[in-house]
Amino acid sequence: MASVPHFQIQDLHVAVEGKEIVRGLNLTINGGEVHAIMGPNGTGKSTLASSLMGHHAYDVTSGSVTLDGQSVLDMSVDERARAGMFLAMQYPAEVAGVSNANFMRQALNARRGEGNELPVIKFHRLLQEKMKQLNIDPVFAERYLNEGFSGGEKKRNEILQMSLLEPRIAILDEIDSGLDIDALKIVAQSVNSLRSPDIGFLIITHYQRLLEYIEPDYVHVMMQGRIVRSGGKELAEQLEAKGYDWLKEELGIVDETVGVEA
Amino acid sequence: MAEQTTTAAVPELVSAISTRFSEPAWLAAVRAEAWQTFDELPANRIEKSDLTKRSWDIGALPVAPGSLPEDAKTLVDSLEGPRVVVVDGVVVQADVPADLAAQGVVFGDLHALLAQHGDLIKRHLFSVVPASESKWTAANAAFWHGGVFLYVPRNVVIETPFTYVSVLTEVNQGAFPRVLVVGGENSAFSLAQVNVAGDNAPSHPHSSVTEVVADAGANIQVMSVNQLRKGPTNYLTQRAKVGKDAVVNWTFGDVGDGFTVALIESVLAGAGSRSLTKGLGIGFGRQHMDLTASMVHQGRYSESDIRLQGVLRGRANSIYRSSTHIERGAVGAGSEQHDRMLMIDTTARADAIPMLLIDENDVQRCGHAASVGKLDADQIYYLMSRGIPKDAAMRMIIWGYLQPIVEAITVPQIQTWLTGLVERKLTS
Ligand SMILES: Nc1ncnc2c1ncn2[C@@H]1O[C@H](COP(=O)(O)OP(=O)(O)OP(=O)(O)O)[C@@H](O)[C@H]1O
Ligand SMILES: [Mg+2]
Repeated sequence: MASVPHFQIQDLHVAVEGKEIVRGLNLTINGGEVHAIMGPNGTGKSTLASSLMGHHAYDVTSGSVTLDGQSVLDMSVDERARAGMFLAMQYPAEVAGVSNANFMRQALNARRGEGNELPVIKFHRLLQEKMKQLNIDPVFAERYLNEGFSGGEKKRNEILQMSLLEPRIAILDEIDSGLDIDALKIVAQSVNSLRSPDIGFLIITHYQRLLEYIEPDYVHVMMQGRIVRSGGKELAEQLEAKGYDWLKEELGIVDETVGVEA
Repeated sequence: MAEQTTTAAVPELVSAISTRFSEPAWLAAVRAEAWQTFDELPANRIEKSDLTKRSWDIGALPVAPGSLPEDAKTLVDSLEGPRVVVVDGVVVQADVPADLAAQGVVFGDLHALLAQHGDLIKRHLFSVVPASESKWTAANAAFWHGGVFLYVPRNVVIETPFTYVSVLTEVNQGAFPRVLVVGGENSAFSLAQVNVAGDNAPSHPHSSVTEVVADAGANIQVMSVNQLRKGPTNYLTQRAKVGKDAVVNWTFGDVGDGFTVALIESVLAGAGSRSLTKGLGIGFGRQHMDLTASMVHQGRYSESDIRLQGVLRGRANSIYRSSTHIERGAVGAGSEQHDRMLMIDTTARADAIPMLLIDENDVQRCGHAASVGKLDADQIYYLMSRGIPKDAAMRMIIWGYLQPIVEAITVPQIQTWLTGLVERKLTS
């Protein structure tokens, strides 16, 4: 596990309720890299993220996804997580009656594996430390998981989990939405502090602003369920300045969503 | 009525109980009359619970109590404070700390206490749950023994919960626990009651009755945990009469695969009286559970709240009824009902039935919410996406759902015992 992660998506097709949403997507992420995916609403970004994590609503109809050569698609959701995948969700579920701390301890121990569990006291110390870094009030440890959290609080809670679990491939779906500028900086700082050859990032966002704080190595644009253009961080700046129309024109795309083929 | 009542009970059994406990004439008379009622009355018709084929064979009077099943023994040995232990209808232990006795608290064997507190008992026994109200309350009134009496006088506040454990072992007949609780004006205390049946309890019917009298301003918490097994039919009738500004809260937990018909009712007689019923049921195997949580509002500005939660596995079938009756004159009464049932296996069945009967125009609020559903797939996915295996994720979610009710069992030993029981049923 100590090796640099190598994550590869090849010709991925994903359908929801019989409708194809992701349509032949290729992407390779290596440890140490930060990839950003941008794209207009409804172009399949969240569908990609959810299907990589194994959400039950999404059917992978063809293609392959591997982490260090192992087929991710053959793993259950929890196996993917234990193999080192992490998805910070756009809309994480709320679970009443389950405390945040208890949930995170179970998750961390599952990730560490049987016989390697972190003692309770050590866990709480670690949790408090991470919460402090993310400027999360300590009372959130005992609050029920995401229940009644504001949008921004949920996002920070996702990042808290990421920093505890230290994944190998971290996918962040619109982690910046609902965050005020201070929270955005804190979240970015947390991501940056995790950056190392041991982890690769896939960051889905609509805003160049986030990418000012987390500098991407690659920027990809998604339309009609596939990556239509890739570049460096200057691509994000271009999109911020000019929107998507010029790109659509260049590519001859009329409707960028997955609803209608060009 | 073509009722099948295969009863082998004979009137002699009733008089034998009266004789064995040297009962006063009034009590022997109630018993004899209850026997008549029991013998003549058909079982109540309950929609969705067919009682016509349930046996009414009472069995013989136990000679000596059987030995405790391991699990029950662990619980009994762990208990502290004021407690009564009854095995097969025989009181085997009754401890009341001296400081409580000095405050006038009475707790122990109902029969034994008749000598000293006969008037008090006579005044209240059968006053809340009359012998004649159903076939099974009549059975209880005719055959009960090993009953328990708890009395806390006026203005006395007892922090330590009273505990009462009734165990049914495999050697004996059906049990008929009878509990009478009387709280004087402004008294405050709690009672935790545990009914356990061993795995091989015989198939005689089991009918338990709990009567609670809460005088003005009293605050009484009654917890009851039942682990009743398949075989016999279990009837439970628990009712409180709640006086002016008094509070009676019920917490009910049932973990089993038996056939159970239960009624938990508060009669909110006094103005400003309040009651909260929390119920939790874990059904498995071929369990049949028919639970009615009922609130009868008579007093002005009386308030009630019912919260029932069920978790069903296997072929369990549960019917949870929340019934609120606001009688004429209960001006400004308020009530809430929340029923939630979780189906773990597709073979389980559940009904959540809200019932509202409002005879008073001027009510403050009257809300109800009922749902029957499966575990939320997105919640399971979320926990799994952090590495938690599916089974563990499901257990965490179910526990999260049950926790508020389990926590209402404020006797740590009983809470732990219940937790263990639920845990075993969720993992098996
Ligand atoms: N669970 C689902 N059930 C039905 N349709 C879905 C589901 N998930 C996604 N879709 C549909 O798939 C298409 C792509 O949605 P997706 O959420 O992947 O877009 P997105 O690129 O993440 O958009 P946004 O930028 O608005 O978050 C949309 O038409 C959406 O309605
Ligand atoms: Mg999205």
